[in-house]
Amino acid sequence: MRTITFIDAIREAIEEEMRADNDVFVVGQDVRGAIFPHTKGLVDEFGPERIVDTPIAESGMYGVAFGAAQEGMRPICDFMFGGFSYVTFSECSVTTGQYHFLHGSQHPLPLVITAGVGTGQRLANDHAMSIHGTFAHHPGIKVAMPSTPYDAKGMFKAAIRDNNPVVIPWHMGIMMQKGEVPDVGDDYIVPLGSADVKREGSDVTVLANSLQLQHALEVAEKLKDEISIEVIDPRSFVPFDMETLLTSLEKTNRLVVVDEDWESGGFAATVSARVMEQGFDLLDAPVIRVTLPNMPVPGGYMEEYVAPNPERIEAAVRAVCA
Amino acid sequence: MALSTEQKTTLYRNLIRADEFNRMMYRRMMQGKLIGFYHPAEGAIAPGVAAASFLNQDDNLSPHHRGHGITHMLSKGIDIKYYLAEHTGKDTGCCKGRSAFHFSFPEHKVYMMSGFIGYNFAPVVGWGFAAKRRNQGQVVMNCSGDGSYGQGRAHEAMLMAQNWKLPVIFFCENNGMSIFSTAMEMHPKEHISSLADGYGMPSTIVDGQDVFAVAEACVEAIARARQGDGPTFIEAKTLRFNEHDIGTPDLSGWEERSEEEHASMREREPVRIATARVLDEGLLNQAAIDQIIEETKAEVQGVEDFADSSEIARPSVEELMDGVFAK
Ligand SMILES: Cc1ncc(C[n+]2csc(CCOP(=O)(O)OP(=O)(O)O)c2C)c(N)n1
Ligand SMILES: [Mg+2]
Repeated sequence: MRTITFIDAIREAIEEEMRADNDVFVVGQDVRGAIFPHTKGLVDEFGPERIVDTPIAESGMYGVAFGAAQEGMRPICDFMFGGFSYVTFSECSVTTGQYHFLHGSQHPLPLVITAGVGTGQRLANDHAMSIHGTFAHHPGIKVAMPSTPYDAKGMFKAAIRDNNPVVIPWHMGIMMQKGEVPDVGDDYIVPLGSADVKREGSDVTVLANSLQLQHALEVAEKLKDEISIEVIDPRSFVPFDMETLLTSLEKTNRLVVVDEDWESGGFAATVSARVMEQGFDLLDAPVIRVTLPNMPVPGGYMEEYVAPNPERIEAAVRAVCA
Repeated sequence: MALSTEQKTTLYRNLIRADEFNRMMYRRMMQGKLIGFYHPAEGAIAPGVAAASFLNQDDNLSPHHRGHGITHMLSKGIDIKYYLAEHTGKDTGCCKGRSAFHFSFPEHKVYMMSGFIGYNFAPVVGWGFAAKRRNQGQVVMNCSGDGSYGQGRAHEAMLMAQNWKLPVIFFCENNGMSIFSTAMEMHPKEHISSLADGYGMPSTIVDGQDVFAVAEACVEAIARARQGDGPTFIEAKTLRFNEHDIGTPDLSGWEERSEEEHASMREREPVRIATARVLDEGLLNQAAIDQIIEETKAEVQGVEDFADSSEIARPSVEELMDGVFAK
């Protein structure tokens, strides 16, 4: 095992998959020069034919990925910031999600959509919004987001090898975070659709991902002598590993869902509804959600006033245990 | 269209102001006294000054993000102190401190900046549509970079503006770069303005380092649009002296831009070019120029003082929620 950063783990996954499969390529804007480090240096090894920069034309850029995937290639479409994917939303959500199913489940669409997302940079809504909830709303697309370097490498590899469209954004707030990853050459994947218990506990379950997972772990450590918190990372939103969550609730009987997305219509709402439908008898208290309020994400200092943070998670944990 | 002495003096003053404001923004970003990004405008200040100096109050302006539109906005008569306050998260900011670097001065018909390159092309058609319906001679100045013309919506906008002869000026500030990518590589033809040919839209190419040359083209296009003769495409060939945004490497493709490229760019510094011209034509003497510089420094200081002495905006979530919908 070595220790590398989260963003380097993503780069390694792309690099290794590109070496293993000549059909894997990256298409995006300024990915050769690398706006973010996960494509840094890749052009030196793979050349501009496989690390492809397009004009600022998201519809066309995504079209390259979509069409090439239909032709059997395995594109990774990099939108730079998650919000930019909305420029080509009809293609990357509607047409993408329906393609396999609506056309008789005959032909796969093996592509990856990635982008940096999340609060913490104070850049305001269009550079700060999450996209996982919106994509998860559109059936036919797998949606996942890693929280540690180990998961990042394994999940990106799984996404690239998957025969479906996979949206796998990464949170800018944890990009330089370090963690243990197997040595280069020790191939592994983290299967999409598997949640992970990141910390065991017995009083309450907190479901959280990416930057918010770090916040949840902080709270669990802080309250350890008072409240025993089990922290679960969903890792995948679609498909979602309900079994791991229900197993945890059998023990804790209380649930806080933290989601860096809007309260309305997001992943946290879906999980709460499913827990009510499938695990109502396990619950000793109503589920509490910690999310973004239903306003465009403000920029500047104001981001800090509205985003989920350790204080809000702690308050929710105390409330659900009260 | 030939410029009057008064127009030339206005342009020169606004160019000096644009230059000083850009220096101030650059310095503040380096000092950590700005929120978010700053896309420095050094080398590229002349087009915005020319595009916005002769607009009327009720004309629409969509500034280019380069220099964060300050060049354009100050030329239209907007007091930049409210924008700097916004960029520093203050409650006196033009968007109440909640937008980071996005501006909005609806009373000056500068509605917005969005982080999505090419966002301008959809609304400009609507402004042009409204202007035509109202028939008051209002025009729309639509400024953006060479890169933005990759977006499909740029072409949709040109199509509709030309179909309906809308009073929209497509003002392309071509600095030859889009982050690390060159316009040469991202567009099949040398001139972005050749796109206009496909729509039968009149177009012109001007030296974007020469504020007077750009302004001549703008004054003519504005007059055309005002009298109902429809859109014009203006391509101002300009330069980007610095990196794309502060903190990002200065690459061309995936290699550093060369020393030679930088050296040859800097020979075409717009303030120097304009100063030589005003002195040569006897429009201003050195004393008058020094006075403009002095007044500008005082203006910039006043803007910084306003922003720095304003309070950080600290609304509650409830107060913010109250602003989501219009009353
Ligand atoms: C929809 C969208 N795609 C990509 C970006 C990232 N981006 C920001 S500025 C920029 C380059 C813009 O180039 P140009 O329009 O030529 O203006 P310049 O920065 O050169 O002045 C890019 C690609 C973005 N902000 N929005
Ligand atoms: Mg450009």
